[in-house]
Amino acid sequence: MQNEWLYIGLFLIVGVALPAASLIMAAIITPKKSNPIKNSTYECGMETVGDSWVQFKAQYYIFGLVFLIFDVETVFLFPWAVTLNKLPLFAVIEGIVFILILLAGFTYIWRKDALEWA
Amino acid sequence: MDWTLWLELVIKALVLIFALLGGFAYLTWYERRLLARFQSRLGPNRAGPFGLLQPIADAVKLIFKEELTPAKAYKLVFFLAPIMTLVPSVIIAAVIPWGPPFQLGDRIVTQSIADINVGVLFLMSIASIAVYGIVLAGWSSNNKYAMLGGLRSAAQMISYELTLGLAFVVAILLGNSMNLTDIVEAQRDGRWFVLVQPVGALILWIATLAEVNRHPFDMPEAEQELTAGYHTEYSGMKFALFFMAEYQKMIVVSAILATLFFGGYLGPWVDRWPLLGPVYMFLKIVILLFIMIWVRATWPRIRYDRLMAFGWKVLLPLALAVVMITAVGILLAEINPWMIWLIPIFSLIAGAFASLMIDRSLRRKAYA
Amino acid sequence: MATTVSTKSVDLSTIFPDAVIADERKGYTGWLVEKDNLIEIATYVREELDYDLLSSVTGVDYLPEEKMEVVYQVYKTTGGPGLFFKVQIPREDPMEIPSVINIWPGADLQEREIWDLYGIKFPGHPDLRRILTWEGFEGHPMRKDWQEPFYEEETKPFKSRWPKGEHIHAEEINPYHDNLKFPPKFNPENWTPTDPEEALYTSLKKFTTKNEDGLEAEQIIVNMGPQHPSTHGVFRAVVVLDGEKVVSLKPVMGYLHRNHEKIGERNTYLHNMPYTDRLDYFNSMANNWAYALAVEKLMGIEVTERSEYIRVIMSELTRIQNHLVWVGIFLNDLGAVVTPLLYAFEERELILDIFEEVSGARMMCNYYRFGGVVRDMPVRAFEKLKQLVYDRLPGKIEEFERLLSENEILLSRVKGIGYLSAKDAIATSMTGPMLRASGVPYDIRRAEPYGIYDRFDFDVVTRPECDLYARYHVRIEEMHQSLRILEQAVSTIPEGPILPKKPVYQVRVPAGEAYGRIESPKGELGFYVISNGKPNPWRYHVRAPSFINITALEKMCVGEKIADFVAILGAIDIVLGELDR
Repeated sequence: MQNEWLYIGLFLIVGVALPAASLIMAAIITPKKSNPIKNSTYECGMETVGDSWVQFKAQYYIFGLVFLIFDVETVFLFPWAVTLNKLPLFAVIEGIVFILILLAGFTYIWRKDALEWA
Repeated sequence: MDWTLWLELVIKALVLIFALLGGFAYLTWYERRLLARFQSRLGPNRAGPFGLLQPIADAVKLIFKEELTPAKAYKLVFFLAPIMTLVPSVIIAAVIPWGPPFQLGDRIVTQSIADINVGVLFLMSIASIAVYGIVLAGWSSNNKYAMLGGLRSAAQMISYELTLGLAFVVAILLGNSMNLTDIVEAQRDGRWFVLVQPVGALILWIATLAEVNRHPFDMPEAEQELTAGYHTEYSGMKFALFFMAEYQKMIVVSAILATLFFGGYLGPWVDRWPLLGPVYMFLKIVILLFIMIWVRATWPRIRYDRLMAFGWKVLLPLALAVVMITAVGILLAEINPWMIWLIPIFSLIAGAFASLMIDRSLRRKAYA
Repeated sequence: MATTVSTKSVDLSTIFPDAVIADERKGYTGWLVEKDNLIEIATYVREELDYDLLSSVTGVDYLPEEKMEVVYQVYKTTGGPGLFFKVQIPREDPMEIPSVINIWPGADLQEREIWDLYGIKFPGHPDLRRILTWEGFEGHPMRKDWQEPFYEEETKPFKSRWPKGEHIHAEEINPYHDNLKFPPKFNPENWTPTDPEEALYTSLKKFTTKNEDGLEAEQIIVNMGPQHPSTHGVFRAVVVLDGEKVVSLKPVMGYLHRNHEKIGERNTYLHNMPYTDRLDYFNSMANNWAYALAVEKLMGIEVTERSEYIRVIMSELTRIQNHLVWVGIFLNDLGAVVTPLLYAFEERELILDIFEEVSGARMMCNYYRFGGVVRDMPVRAFEKLKQLVYDRLPGKIEEFERLLSENEILLSRVKGIGYLSAKDAIATSMTGPMLRASGVPYDIRRAEPYGIYDRFDFDVVTRPECDLYARYHVRIEEMHQSLRILEQAVSTIPEGPILPKKPVYQVRVPAGEAYGRIESPKGELGFYVISNGKPNPWRYHVRAPSFINITALEKMCVGEKIADFVAILGAIDIVLGELDR
């Protein structure tokens, strides 16, 4: 089994080499005639005003937080799903209760309007 | 380790990578020709017969294009982002079984790079990594459109990640394993999981559309709003890498969908001629890609907040319900095998209920 | 048939005997109002007389009399003729006339245009910046004593281009050199475009918001345009975004400004006909008609019977193809790649085939003449027309409805978005489908019928929703109504001459003023023409629906998402050729 992960590691190396090689090739071939206007930030032809690295709207982060909670909980379902047939009935029901708890938390978030994109 | 093993691995890796590359090149051609047919025009037909050399012409053009790096950009991340986007889209294909193992001389050759026992988990984790490249591309460009596109893609991908995970759970439940080969083998004799759990397949399909930023979920690069979204500042080969990543992701998610729900490499006579496996995979992928392109040709784009609301308020509860229905159905099937057909019945009811609730759950709270 | 509307004209001079006198110049109508009483009288006209729609505000430069004039044309949305009143001021800087923006907010962009082109200031206007030319522009180009680069002569035809009967390019002779004028101390090499923009950006008010949870978020200013895929050309909107939400917005235009009106004043009357094609290049047939209408009013000539029918047919065909393209482009703005657009273009091409057969050009038709049209409709074109009107178009328009109107994604993108109440729509001088989508049944074909529209049976389409959904449906339904008109026109078109008399190159236009307005597919298209009896118009003003409908853009967009901005802008149906003129 250990081998299989080694294969993936090797494949990863090939996978990284591919874009790296094409970028290097492009770096050799492409014309290089840059000037300040070309390298300015694109904003529909206007000079950009203000910074784009600013404190951005919190809405995006709320979704991030909600995701974090649920994703961890979803991963717990994976082993449960694999061994479903071998589990005693009690464990199966426990899994379903777990999903229901997930749903309860989800309902709470919903009612709190955290999912509302204002 | 045996040197033949190394040889086998290198050959397989090269074959897979070149298949993906060729697939990417000709997917662009396929998409453009198809879109053109949907729009009652011809599409690219000048370079070579039926325009078959068009991808090569495009590639040559992109290689010779000047690459610009904005003066205000964070150079290192700006350079790394395209690689970080492309790599996951390639290595995710490593665990997909492309056909049953076959005998070559005295050794058995598997038709996948790695046959790991947690294949589904691998898919899930690599799919999550893919978002980094896009977010960093958007951030490092120091461009407002790119920034918005990057943020959008981050929020969008994590929202659909959950649904994606739950759809994977459905396949795991049905296949009783996290190994992709086992899941495919569990679908023998025409017992494709899409028949047992059609709603699960639909959920997975919608979630993958969102994961690969395909229409109608192509918010991060919404042309009409954000010019080109996260890759606004990219040009030449770096842009080509993003482009490549997007199309390879399309191919790979179609392969995943085919593996998990459409019987993978299974098909008539595949046991007698194992090399038919990749052929069946190819056909299934082409059909699934056709549907993706069909969607692109016909539907408008969903607005961003709607997309989030749809993911969280419709798709996620539905996916949870489907997981429960599947689990209960499998347990009941142990009592009586015919009970398995309660799964599609109940999940279709749940799906119908969810689609009836779409309008309600997405309604705007504040009206101008 | 046509509803009866009040045609009683109002005598302002009896109501305000001290401040108003009748305009008694030859060929003129309306009232001359004292500058100091303007606000009082305008308020009275708006509140007591119910002239709620400010159609057009424009300046006129009477150089020989040393006077500047601003002309206000107001109408009632219930129909009937309009009321013209004018303010005259001596022609010496600083020229100031109080702004009527608080009475009719629709004066916003038009007063800025007058300031830009004529240099008349409007105290009380909150944001009086240049609009069509750039901030550093020297002079006010519509003034009669302003001369453009490569200036040759006051009026066409230019003699300098045909010395001894031979043609010479203007650029080769440069009679007055290049005549370029810059502001003092201006160096084009060192000029950076950021400086004049400051006024614009400060007008947008940048501030940070605090969320309920105490997290601070900064707002960012994003330029949507001029080089943006979905602003329908070189239109620019500066948007302040809070996350995905539009907080504030300012339209910026003029990138395609070519001073169409100045060109129009250099041209002879007939010269101008092809120039009107270039305004809204989708609807050249409609533009021609509005201009012809104004000049015919001045000349006092009748249009022949057959030509009236041909005009109606062409105008309604134009409306159908414009709305078809609009539906396609609108769907494109919503993100539906280009499939609907190409489906729409397929039908449009068939309509353009007819235009080509009658006029020789598919888009720049230049088809109408004073008193009729330039040539008769060929039999083959007429057969094609019948086939289109009776067989092809009704089915195709229904196909559009079937494919699009019930689409769940489309509905979720358009319902409740871009709300503009009827009151606001009238106040901001919206016209055309935009106004009717707010539930105001105002259609010039009914309100003040021109041509022979009073003979046809059709409905004025309105929708009560006031949102994008309404704007979409109004246009789809208007195509059906246009087909109704076309069916009646095709079946009753008489034979006969197309022009009242032999066509001439140089028409004689008696002195006076005239305002010809039609219901173009985009809204009220008006041409305000003043003649002083010479071969060229003294004043040639275009009341462009694309331009004035932009006034309400900010009102509709604030509070919506950035994706909706694109859709709302698309729903206004702007064409930059007309917007920037």
